[in-house]
Amino acid sequence: MRIVCPFCGERELGEFTYLGDAKPVRPVAGAPEDEVFDYVYLRDNIAGVMEENWYHGGGCRAWLKVTRNTLTHEISLVEPAAGAGARHVVK
Amino acid sequence: MVEFSWDVRSPLERALVAGPYGAHGDAGVSLTEIRNFDLVQVMARRGKAAETATAANGHFGVAAPETPKAVRTADATLIWSGPDQFFVLSKGGRHGMGALAPGFSGSASLSDQSHARVLISISGTKARMMLAKLSSIDLHAEAFPVGAAAATSMDHTSVTLWRGNDRTDGQAVFNVLVFATFAESLWQMMLDSGAEYGIEIAYSEDLA
Repeated sequence: MRIVCPFCGERELGEFTYLGDAKPVRPVAGAPEDEVFDYVYLRDNIAGVMEENWYHGGGCRAWLKVTRNTLTHEISLVEPAAGAGARHVVK
Repeated sequence: MVEFSWDVRSPLERALVAGPYGAHGDAGVSLTEIRNFDLVQVMARRGKAAETATAANGHFGVAAPETPKAVRTADATLIWSGPDQFFVLSKGGRHGMGALAPGFSGSASLSDQSHARVLISISGTKARMMLAKLSSIDLHAEAFPVGAAAATSMDHTSVTLWRGNDRTDGQAVFNVLVFATFAESLWQMMLDSGAEYGIEIAYSEDLA
């Protein structure tokens, strides 16, 4: 599997680290306990297209949001994660 | 109080043995460690990328790289190291921390990496063959021309790789900056990878 880093270009999987589902959003301070429990512990086991956080630690050290099909490994979109910065991307 | 005397030594001082290594005959690979350089990492603060670019332009007279490239000025090399960040490689303190700090004040964070990295220069007719064993980057002349750079990994170690100006005999020159404590491991891997081509090992006390 290869990932096209928006900053570096196409790189081998070994340069990246997988974090997990990019969808969960941290609840606001004071949110009910079950919302926090859901955010911290509960994950969907998606068979199909999902958004994931990946870290390009062996390269530019940017966080990326990757849209990947978990059944086929097809990657349809790679974007800088929120706050990853940079005005300029390679492609 | 005890007086300490700090000697600046290369992390490769034990591992590097100047001279020929591996296959006999004309060396296909030249491995040269370059010592005594100034290296500063410039990282734009959040939302200050444009100001950092302006400051870089003001200090160096050229634009700092915003994509994986290495830019040479008269007395420094600016090497892309990630989004909104780059290395300044120079010598003699002209572009060290003290010289850069005033210009980037408020826009970027600087950190001195002079003694945190080892700089290895690789060239020779078999340099690409040797590097192909270590790197997944396409180093063909058309894919990786002079001035191309990459933040990548070699042998599971993060490195900054860029192509410098060709040697006078036309051979390509690849420069690698590697973390000081990983340098010996990568160096041994380079020796193993290049042994079949013959290696000429050297070090330089001066950044060219």
